[in-house]
Amino acid sequence: MKIQKFRRFIVIILTIFLLSSFLPGCSTGGVSETSEDSDASGASGTKSPEKVLIIGYDQDAEIMDTIKTAWYSDALIYIHDRLITRDYEFGYKPGLAERWDISDDGLKWTFYLRKGVKFHDGKDFKAEDVKWTFDTIKDPNTGSPFRGDLEAIKEVKVIDDYTIEMVLNYPFPNLLYNLSATASGIHPANAYEKYGDDYGKKIVIGTGPYKLEEWIPGDKTVLVKNEQYNWGPEWMSNRGPALIDKIVLKVIPDENSRMMELEVGGIHLLRNVPETYVEKLENNPDITLYKEPATKLGYLAYATDKEPFTDVRVRRAINHALNREEIIQFVLRGIGEVAYGYLPPALKDEYLEESKELAYEYNPEKARQLLAEAGYPDGLELTLSADNSSKSSKLAEIIQNQLKEVGIETKIQLYDSASYADMLREGKQELFIREYSWSNADIIDWFLLSSRFPYPNHSRWVDEKTDELIMYAAQRPTWEERAEAYKEVQRYLIDQAVWAPIYIPMQMIAVRKEVKNFKYHPWMLQYNDGFDIEVK
Amino acid sequence: MLKYAVKRIVLMIPVIVIMTMFVFLIFYFAPGDPVSRIAGPNATPEVYESIKRKYGLDQPFIVQYLRFVKSVIEGDLGVSILQGRPVIEMIKERLPVTLQIGLMGFLITFVIAIPAGVIAAVKKNTVVDYLCMLGSLLGMAIPTFWLGMLLLYVFAYKLRWFPISGDGTIKQIILPGFAIGLTNAAITARMVRSSMLEVLKQDYVRTARSKGLKEKTVIYSHALRNALIPIITLMGLKLGWIIGGSVALEIIFSIPGIGRLMVDSILARDYPVVQGSMIVLTSSIILANILADILYTVVDPRIRYN
Repeated sequence: MKIQKFRRFIVIILTIFLLSSFLPGCSTGGVSETSEDSDASGASGTKSPEKVLIIGYDQDAEIMDTIKTAWYSDALIYIHDRLITRDYEFGYKPGLAERWDISDDGLKWTFYLRKGVKFHDGKDFKAEDVKWTFDTIKDPNTGSPFRGDLEAIKEVKVIDDYTIEMVLNYPFPNLLYNLSATASGIHPANAYEKYGDDYGKKIVIGTGPYKLEEWIPGDKTVLVKNEQYNWGPEWMSNRGPALIDKIVLKVIPDENSRMMELEVGGIHLLRNVPETYVEKLENNPDITLYKEPATKLGYLAYATDKEPFTDVRVRRAINHALNREEIIQFVLRGIGEVAYGYLPPALKDEYLEESKELAYEYNPEKARQLLAEAGYPDGLELTLSADNSSKSSKLAEIIQNQLKEVGIETKIQLYDSASYADMLREGKQELFIREYSWSNADIIDWFLLSSRFPYPNHSRWVDEKTDELIMYAAQRPTWEERAEAYKEVQRYLIDQAVWAPIYIPMQMIAVRKEVKNFKYHPWMLQYNDGFDIEVK
Repeated sequence: MLKYAVKRIVLMIPVIVIMTMFVFLIFYFAPGDPVSRIAGPNATPEVYESIKRKYGLDQPFIVQYLRFVKSVIEGDLGVSILQGRPVIEMIKERLPVTLQIGLMGFLITFVIAIPAGVIAAVKKNTVVDYLCMLGSLLGMAIPTFWLGMLLLYVFAYKLRWFPISGDGTIKQIILPGFAIGLTNAAITARMVRSSMLEVLKQDYVRTARSKGLKEKTVIYSHALRNALIPIITLMGLKLGWIIGGSVALEIIFSIPGIGRLMVDSILARDYPVVQGSMIVLTSSIILANILADILYTVVDPRIRYN
């Protein structure tokens, strides 16, 4: 009898386990997955095998809507088209707009739209879609983070179905950049009313080369080729439908797991390869590593409205104290370039060529001397803040050591990213470490204009001359004049030592041998431009 | 007994209410808010404030809390600030896979720990005992996430028997299940052993033996049953932690479970999602303990709840 009872106990335990398979949804994940797999293999039986490109990511976006977040999923690059595109040389080229005119005063931009373009839901692409997209971004009730970037636009007018006019508040050549950004992807008019709450979650409609098939937040995004696509930009070798049938953006949060997947072929392509893996990947015959200087800048900043940073001699001393080569060796394993100016050199038009000559070389002796002149012969005691990523904490350590050499004692304070942003907004920082990733000179406006004080102007730089120079540059009527004027801004910033620029990291993309016709693009990889993949 | 279970379940409510208030307080006073992530690094104060207003984050604490309470009573746990989706829907998506891993681990724990503990106790101070206990010592010394990485490296990367990152099939839960199972089995086997040793010394075991029962019967139906009580307590506690405890494994094995949802939401300060997952976590711990209490009566008929 006792044995019977013991059996009952075992039965209960087993029941608990089995119950798990009856829990709602417990098996649905698996089932939908397998049915999808069998679909794929079913299709491969009848026609040529499906070409699937799998890309690894460390994290997912929260919402699939360019209008409502500043944290875009790369999927949106391929779901939407933009009025303007950027080619492999970073030049501005026609996209959904076949061409555009800018009035002589720079206040009126007229875009002539491409005809015969269709949205994924079958609707024709027309001027009203452009108007709706930008009006929605500009509407304060939408809460779009992109609204600030489009401040210059006063009004978007529909002239006819294929002509749109943008009236500006002031000349603003940078509209070229803003209209080619991921955030400027064109949505069909009234998408929110039409698709309701599902828009940006289950449904996203664009005119791009890929359509959203499925998005499982935190897991993967599946894009399927848009067969109708034949309006690729002129600079692409393939303007028709993409060669790859499906793109899967797979989230693999752990760095080690991502690398293993790349090595075994579970993912074909990986961006933002960490410096620590470079050697291993370069020795792997299955993988090609593309390395180009990124449009990023790592720098040490300081609250310039607080003592002792109000004194330009102190700021210059800090610049002289940093041994940038050593930092790059220690933190980036030597993979990166020394930064001299305030913009990444990849921005060819705007970057100030003579930054290197003007910048402050490593010279601890001079640093000490400048500190003494500024009235701090015995050195200083300051706090050094950073976010708690391993890269930033390493940076903080080595900067702490180098500053110590010249008599500046620092206490390191690490924050998680949300707290760090909060702390900077509140203005508690003294010395702090930042890295920006931005492919346009207007990053200087964001971070250094007095009207952006106290944030995003975290270095708390309020200076009339800077404002004057930046506003002059930003509102030149043409792109070329603007670029020239920004060089003047950079010259002044270097002189004032507003930041201590440190490094330009490398943009590293690892590509497996199955991927054919890979073309490096400094900003958005164009998978529809003749990219192909070998199927086993 | 049913009455007892109902009473215990009703008692969960105040615990959950107190827990949600704590979480809300911590979040309210902790630095950072979800707006930074939506707005991006270049947001101006004006844009920042307008986003804050849109999601009602400019409201005072009590207003925000009451709004949350209202959504709990309505049963939908509110809407995620970052994803704009109902929290309940997000939890439903993420919970099953976490439960699968946990229960897999639980089963492995049992399958390994009970026989190992019993054998070690019966063959006390022999090579078998030493081997079992050495294995258990090793298992206890290894952190779950490290074992997970090791299993991943050997069985998924080198041998390629399993997927490296979650592929949505049942295969994906086996390695994380083993990582949980093996580490838990280590401590459980020790408990089974010591508890068995205790019981084997009892008079009724001697009686059973002297009345001529087979040794197998003595061990499995007389000794083990009585030795199981402390094991059930331990299991009850462990079962509850399965949901919260697999965070590291979900990251290593790229499995979108509720642990990762919770950590991501904490880092992004997505309050409603953290609250929702905390409610699930708290309830699972309490429920697992109630289940353990009920199991006592099955194993030991002397225990009665009135």
